[in-house]
Amino acid sequence: MVATYLRRAYSSFAAHVFDIPPRLLVFLVLLLLVALPVAKLDDYVLGILISANLLAIFAASWDLLVGRTGQMSLGHALFFGIGAYSTGLLFENFGFPVWVSVPIAVLVGTSIGFLVCFPCLRVKGPYLVLVTMAFPIILEALFKWAPLNDIFHGELGIRKLPSFFPFLKIQGQVLAEYYFTLTLLFFSSIILYKIANSHTGIVFVSILDDDVSSRASGINITKYKLMAFAISGLFASLAGCITAHTLKVANPPMLSLSWSFIPVIVTFLGGIGTIYGPLLGAYIYFILDRYVLTILVDIPYELVYTKLMVFTLIVVILILKWPRGLARFTTDKLQDLEEARDIDERGPKIWKTYTKKKKK
Amino acid sequence: MLAIHLLEVENLTKRFGGLTAVNNVSFNIDEGEIVGIIGPNGAGKTTLFNLISGFLKPDSGTIKFKGENIIGLAPHKIVNKGIARTFQVVRPFRHLPVIANVMVALKSPRGNKKIEWIKTIERKAVDMLENVGLTELMLEPAENVGHGDLKRLEMARALATEPDLLMLDEPFGGLNPLETDFLTKSIQRIHLDHPTRGIVIVEHKLYALMKIVNRVIVLHQGEKIAEGKPEEIAKNEKVIEVYMGKAM
Repeated sequence: MVATYLRRAYSSFAAHVFDIPPRLLVFLVLLLLVALPVAKLDDYVLGILISANLLAIFAASWDLLVGRTGQMSLGHALFFGIGAYSTGLLFENFGFPVWVSVPIAVLVGTSIGFLVCFPCLRVKGPYLVLVTMAFPIILEALFKWAPLNDIFHGELGIRKLPSFFPFLKIQGQVLAEYYFTLTLLFFSSIILYKIANSHTGIVFVSILDDDVSSRASGINITKYKLMAFAISGLFASLAGCITAHTLKVANPPMLSLSWSFIPVIVTFLGGIGTIYGPLLGAYIYFILDRYVLTILVDIPYELVYTKLMVFTLIVVILILKWPRGLARFTTDKLQDLEEARDIDERGPKIWKTYTKKKKK
Repeated sequence: MLAIHLLEVENLTKRFGGLTAVNNVSFNIDEGEIVGIIGPNGAGKTTLFNLISGFLKPDSGTIKFKGENIIGLAPHKIVNKGIARTFQVVRPFRHLPVIANVMVALKSPRGNKKIEWIKTIERKAVDMLENVGLTELMLEPAENVGHGDLKRLEMARALATEPDLLMLDEPFGGLNPLETDFLTKSIQRIHLDHPTRGIVIVEHKLYALMKIVNRVIVLHQGEKIAEGKPEEIAKNEKVIEVYMGKAM
């Protein structure tokens, strides 16, 4: 009797939890990430994880814009860099405390990105890629320009930015930053996921599929494209601000072309258009990039760009194997298991009733 | 008092380089009418549709909807004024399920306004799919749906904005007789549900078309060559000449 009760409890639990594989997966992954620091990781590894959290926000925001709305942007570092530089400039020139300068910088990043996006609304396809690529390149050159060195400090960037938790010791700071970025990642990915799967998200996908049809359905696609750019820019500049304060610097590489490409690689690795895919991709990227390729293989500093090449090669091979991305591959597998389990459960029952009937 | 027509098209001309696709075409459409526009390939039927729905701008002429000039308005604004269209080649949102295809149109200002306060977008979308008999395929991604069903989906999407003028571009194209029959009935039902709604149908399949329309406009090489009741048009010598070639 206890056994039947347990079995019934298990099946109701399975129906509520296993039927939605991503939810269970999210729960397990979150548990793992929260528990990770218990393993007494050193600051270097925690630093990698902090960067992975921030890259995940950055890549998820790119995924909303490109994977969902189809606005192919290869200059997403623009939002990131503007966010980082705004908070840096606000601190250096006006001495704003971190908790004040970050929200302002996110707003500045979003609105400047918003303005810059107006020319992007008129173009499509390869032309859009070129326009979006141009802005961060121009801005990077401007920040490096010698006459403006007093403001932007050229190649070195704005340094000695304050930490989020100045009242803690160094060890505690890193741990606190880890949990802070993890919380941010959790909430921003949930917000992005909710937006992507809302009614507005459906309109975003309609623009990706066929913008002529969307217009013929009475949708003002300019409005929705701007909305996608703004939401995406907001989260990208948030990631930029936090990165600037965790690395304590806002420098030109944050606007560089390679930094624009990394969310692309990461998103394709995880599965484009899923929002949760890039999160997985970001973690894999940082583990491969900082841990395997730096510590285990020990590539010399001069060959740092080969690292990106090797990584891209790995991604290309993985995509050939799993074209829908790693995250989708996992959820698909789970769904298959689920279906197989259903068949296993149903099969014998049907067989039993069949045999019973035959006996009668 | 002069009655205002639902749609007034006057001396409409559109040139593509040296080719005059639509040449000095004028016609009116009244409330509650079903009008067929026929003509051989390259007669300018689809161009005419694109001009009315705002995807192309005419070189000269006027288009008035409910007495208001709509030339130069963006396509989505024209839809929100109450003209909805379908496409000759189906253009569904392939990644979205069938129901979400309709929900996109319901997110437009006009579609959203027409939802009764007690209904959700989803409920209204199901109603729209019921109209054309697609409820069974509701959750199927549009890329897995057959051509005949996509034609009906296009119509459901156009109807979702509750247009005052519905323009169907070759709704029977590529359909088998059974599907054609079903769609004919759907169109007739749509007409009965909203008797004041004007419907314009561009079509090649004359047999199916002639049964449902009140009036036919014949285009040939961009010009209007005949207009009248279906029976008159079927006997019109000029029309027969255009379709069959000159008598020897």
